[in-house]
Amino acid sequence: MAIFGLWVINKAGGLVYQRNFTDGLAQLTSNEYLVLAGTLHGIHAITSRLSPIPGPSSGAQVIEGETFKMTILLTATGTKFVLLTSLAEPSADVMLQKVYDAYADAVMKNPFHTPEMPIRSDGFEQRITSLIGDGRTTS
Amino acid sequence: MTIYSLYIYDRHCTCVYYQDWHRTRRPKPAVEGGLLPAVSQAVSPQPSDPNPTSASAYTSPRNTLSSSSGIVVAMNDALSQQTASPLLKTPPSAVTVASTGLSFDEEAKLVYGVVLSLRNIAKKLSGRDESFVNYRTSTYKLHLFETFSGYKFVMLSDPYTDSLRLVLRQIYVGPFLEYIVRNPLVDMDSKLAGVDNEYFRASLDRMVRGLSVFS
Repeated sequence: MAIFGLWVINKAGGLVYQRNFTDGLAQLTSNEYLVLAGTLHGIHAITSRLSPIPGPSSGAQVIEGETFKMTILLTATGTKFVLLTSLAEPSADVMLQKVYDAYADAVMKNPFHTPEMPIRSDGFEQRITSLIGDGRTTS
Repeated sequence: MTIYSLYIYDRHCTCVYYQDWHRTRRPKPAVEGGLLPAVSQAVSPQPSDPNPTSASAYTSPRNTLSSSSGIVVAMNDALSQQTASPLLKTPPSAVTVASTGLSFDEEAKLVYGVVLSLRNIAKKLSGRDESFVNYRTSTYKLHLFETFSGYKFVMLSDPYTDSLRLVLRQIYVGPFLEYIVRNPLVDMDSKLAGVDNEYFRASLDRMVRGLSVFS
């Protein structure tokens, strides 16, 4: 079981944080990650409109491929946290909540951070490193 | 546990078949020209003439064939009227149906767009020839199965079902091959018509209603 990567997408669909942990997925350029994050942002909006039953629907929460899955946490402010993990990884939801905590503490409380802009914060990096480490989960 | 709907797309990105089951929020019928004929009677554009029976039954020599007792094995007439076929009897549902506000052709394009984009994302991220399999929201789960010939089977179910990929494959190797591929009257890959016919619809309906996840 492995965690491959973490993305943070701002409410306009821009990728403000991206970090890889374990190998297992293709290595892409930062430009390609930007494009993928933007696409995901758009798809997420569409998926909430395709609901076959009445009532509000969330956007996509888990997207599965053949060898990996993406777990998406949409916060109340529109920021999306995306965790790329192996299919069997059980802790993705819990991990995203912890990442959100770290984001609130180390990014939003940082007076030098400009909202909606790329995250460059050593404090956040350290919190993520201690949370996810090299991406190999033991469970 | 339930199944909501099934879309089939051909390799030209067009929707060639649609059917729904427990869906309580439906799209509006497609606009004229937005949808191929023979995709689904339920969502096809309504004929502009509100009272088609007022015309003579013999407007065209072809009309002698439209009896109410036979079974439609292939369709090519956009305005072919719904007949009470013995194969397609379903119990009437008492559930009120809400509207999505979208017309069916728009909805079909959105579904295809999502599926195609996610497939490309999965391919790009994995670096392999890997497809996306399913995604889940709070109210539904969408499953994809793609054949080598480019047909895409997309099924919507409730969010807690397991992967329906094998079911979609079964639909492909069962009813689809039997009543569409092996049916010389169905013009596949024509970009002019869908693949709807009554044997396929009935056989698919039987199969889906027999699934353990269908209730």
